[in-house]
Amino acid sequence: MRKYVLLSIGLTVLVAIFFSACSEESIKYQRYYSDGLNLYKTHCGNCHMEDGSGLGKLIPPLTDTIYLKENRDKLACIIVYGLSDSIVINGIGYKEKMPAEKHLAAVDLAKLLTYVTNAFGNNQGLYDISEVEKNLRNCK
Amino acid sequence: MKILKSLLVASASFLLFACNQHHEKLPILGERQTMERMVNGKLEVDTFYQTIPAFSFMNQDSAIINNDSLKNSIYIADFFFTSCPSICPIMSKNMLSVYQKYKGNNEVRFLSHSIDPKHDSIPVLKKYANKLGVTGTQWSFLLGSRDSIYNIARNGYMNYAQENEKIPGGVEHSGYFILVDKDKRIRGAYDGTNKEQVENLKTDIDILLNEYKSAKK
Repeated sequence: MRKYVLLSIGLTVLVAIFFSACSEESIKYQRYYSDGLNLYKTHCGNCHMEDGSGLGKLIPPLTDTIYLKENRDKLACIIVYGLSDSIVINGIGYKEKMPAEKHLAAVDLAKLLTYVTNAFGNNQGLYDISEVEKNLRNCK
Repeated sequence: MKILKSLLVASASFLLFACNQHHEKLPILGERQTMERMVNGKLEVDTFYQTIPAFSFMNQDSAIINNDSLKNSIYIADFFFTSCPSICPIMSKNMLSVYQKYKGNNEVRFLSHSIDPKHDSIPVLKKYANKLGVTGTQWSFLLGSRDSIYNIARNGYMNYAQENEKIPGGVEHSGYFILVDKDKRIRGAYDGTNKEQVENLKTDIDILLNEYKSAKK
């Protein structure tokens, strides 16, 4: 009997540790996501639209989850330096220039990308500031 | 007595209702002037409303668009440029939703004036229209000299457009959609970046179209 009690106490402690770590991460995610939403409205929404739907064949939507996943390490560079190459989103080619947003801090980029990669039907989790900093060092 | 009273109330409310239905009209905006004249010994007052001055611009298909080409249409005018990074994409998106509602109805036309004629050549405008999904002649993207466009913005549509090197894109302009009737009078102005006001524009277009329909009867 004593053995079971000890075991269950141990298990509860383990579960509690697991959940507290998890919620710390999820609190950070929530904060990044909601700050990201405001940054998105200020810096991106005019062109990509509040719902991420873009504009005709002029401005691509942000709903191409596969593109976002495959180019995850390039996203910060695209925001900071803009884009002049053509890209294919949801099977449609876009050739217009995307203007650079050079003034954004790494933490804001992390929040923005957390929002973009989790809104509009995307679901790719936290985009941390360390990831942004690492990727920015490799911009072409 | 009681019956009479209720009859009176009923007929009064019917009249009110009837009035409301038949007299829903949009206001006429802008300056107005009155002129008095004698007709058969009686003094009559004529009111002259502000109208859009004569213009002649070229559209994305190199066709001339002027007052005459819009004789039988009401139209919505705005000012934009294709490389505009600020409010234009939202305006285009909202205008697109109005265009899609009236697509195929030639009584409703659209004029988007480019305020950056140096960059927005005819092929650039054509490409912009295509990529927006605009076909045919209902929506014209207009090219004119800088001065004539700025001038009609200010004096015709009570809008403004001017160069400003300090802002992204280099040109600033207001984001209004202007609703113009068949007599070239301004009947409404709507913030083209505001979804609610764009919905109001759609309602007002219906009201204006109805004015012409009931006038025909």
